[in-house]
Amino acid sequence: MLQQVVNGLTLGSSYALIALGYTMVYGVLRLINFAHGEIYMVGAFIGLTASQIAGLPFAAAMVIAMAGAAVVGVVVERIAYRPLRKAPRLAALISAIGMSIFLRNLALAVMGPQTRAFPIPFEVKQFTTGRLRISSFDVLILLTSVGLMLGLHFLVHKTKIGKAMRATAEDKETASLMGISVNRVIAFTFAIGSALAASAGVLIGMNFNAVDPSMGMMPGLKGFTAAVLGGVGSIPGAMLGGILLGMAEVMGVALLKSEWRDAIAFGILALVLLVKPSGILGRNLQEKV
Amino acid sequence: MKSMNHVFKGKKNYARAKFDGCSEGKDHIHNRGKRFIISSFRTVSIAAFLAAVIFLAGCTGSGADSPPASGGSDGDKIIKIGMVGPLTGDYATYGQSVRNGVQTAIDEINAEGGVNGFTLQLIAEDSKGESTEAANAVQKLIDQDKVTAIVGAVLSGETATVAPIAQDSGVLMVTPSSTAPGLTDTGDYIFRNVITDDVQARQLAEYVVSELGLKKFAVLYANNDYGVALKDNFTAKVEELGASVVGVESYLDGDEDFRAQLTKIGNEVDALYIAGYYTEAAKIAQQARRQGIEARLLGADGFYSGKLVELGGDAVEGALFTAGFYSGDSSENVQAFVSTYKQKYSEEPDMFAANAYDTMKIVAQALEKAGNDRAALKAEMANVKDFPGVTGTTSFDDRGEAVKEVIILKVENGKFSRAR
Repeated sequence: MLQQVVNGLTLGSSYALIALGYTMVYGVLRLINFAHGEIYMVGAFIGLTASQIAGLPFAAAMVIAMAGAAVVGVVVERIAYRPLRKAPRLAALISAIGMSIFLRNLALAVMGPQTRAFPIPFEVKQFTTGRLRISSFDVLILLTSVGLMLGLHFLVHKTKIGKAMRATAEDKETASLMGISVNRVIAFTFAIGSALAASAGVLIGMNFNAVDPSMGMMPGLKGFTAAVLGGVGSIPGAMLGGILLGMAEVMGVALLKSEWRDAIAFGILALVLLVKPSGILGRNLQEKV
Repeated sequence: MKSMNHVFKGKKNYARAKFDGCSEGKDHIHNRGKRFIISSFRTVSIAAFLAAVIFLAGCTGSGADSPPASGGSDGDKIIKIGMVGPLTGDYATYGQSVRNGVQTAIDEINAEGGVNGFTLQLIAEDSKGESTEAANAVQKLIDQDKVTAIVGAVLSGETATVAPIAQDSGVLMVTPSSTAPGLTDTGDYIFRNVITDDVQARQLAEYVVSELGLKKFAVLYANNDYGVALKDNFTAKVEELGASVVGVESYLDGDEDFRAQLTKIGNEVDALYIAGYYTEAAKIAQQARRQGIEARLLGADGFYSGKLVELGGDAVEGALFTAGFYSGDSSENVQAFVSTYKQKYSEEPDMFAANAYDTMKIVAQALEKAGNDRAALKAEMANVKDFPGVTGTTSFDDRGEAVKEVIILKVENGKFSRAR
């Protein structure tokens, strides 16, 4: 059972990394960025290319993937969302779905439909205590996720640009009256959210040794679910939502039947939303970014 | 293999799609009709219809410079064989493999003097992977081309739709690839020359229990018709033989994280049967090894792709799986087939091509005995016994299903080799 908790934690922290991007963008734009799952996929491909073709070490490949995905995220915002910022919100949502399909098909055209291997560029060690087995990769995923989340927390709460993000989330017009360049803040938010998605893409692609153009679909949905579960717009909510979702899935398999895995995860989502439509931490407006 | 779109996921090769002359021409006419749509829809549609009729007539005419050969009509020196399947579209790779396999067999037969002095001629029709197109194509093959037999259809859905047409017209139809259950129950003119999912699962169970002496199994299956059929039959056969299945877990195609299921299965089993495709199987293998599960991995024809080893690495070493065809087989007829096929189409023949090749050879053998007569041909097909083909030794049971020993492959030093 302890093993299942570890399984749930590592799965959940990858969901949390994706959920953060959804929640940050929602915070500033009130937009569900449905192309986010594809950014995750693009990040995984950039990381794969950097590590395999350029032969870069893990940390460098990770940084390049995050930077590359950040650029893609900003470009997507510039061409697909900014022109629609004054349009009804539904228009931007449809533009997001369009972007998602476009990016997936672009990857399909450029990289082909095959699943590619993403070999881990370092030796994976196993730690065994009693019946519990933890691989160094589990540790890496947990540490990277926690590190990135702490970094994000610091960024949002302790830096000038973080303050600008919070102000923009609170009220775009007032923020711009205060001299904040709203466009820059929004672009920055997309960059950070996309970089986090890319880090998750590289970690997951590496852990499961597989990268393919449609890999963003399910994690994108799960990340979105985690964000809604935790309270969309709330950063701690996204982290909590991710961990909860991962745990719920794993426990669904462990205690019930594996066919129920997704039904349980999404059932919990429905229940939470029935009882508390704003999500678990959704009321905490101060945390909105 | 039932959900064809999942077989050999990575191998779809759209660019390879070639058009056969007829369908290309039809598209062309259709497009020309569209261009004038502004003037008058009715005039144009009538014109397009007429054009299509004229063209179709021309098309069939061009295919038969010689007088139309058909079942029963004597004096002709050509026997026409129809083929129907997706030659363009998403499933083109399967249909093209089947067509190429049939063509390879026909060329060999004709080079050796044909069948009783008759030359075989292949008429391949594109179904585009759609059942309605397949039905039209089969109707055309029977009514206009007057084919003696049809190899096809390729996808299970197509075959289910066209089998009754062939049966009602009394034309022999042999599918070399559709694995959905019950297809041959349509009637006595419908045969199948491909290993079905229940057969491969049962034969593997028999091999690992009786020959390898494994006792304790777990099953991890893809929750789709392919995975469920494999799981049900494997479990049933294992238990019938007195061994036990201690854990049955499922996953969805496209899942990435299988650790929860694997943790639940635990490491007390002798073997883990993964009823699904190679992408997920490779991931499952790696995660299982990392969790300390050392059980032998077992699978079905969904494993058969170089990607299994590429993605799974050391984790899939020693895995056993069933296959309908093995191109690396050292036997003479397989190597001859592989090299001829490669020369013609510059790619390795896959299972679809191999089954189609064998099917055509079997039909030709039956034709030789029956003469160019549809009813006698059907009767001869049912009598085929121990035909030595590239996919193994084939006989047909009284339902028209091929009976053959399934090939079992093993991953050894990162390569496939034959275990049985």
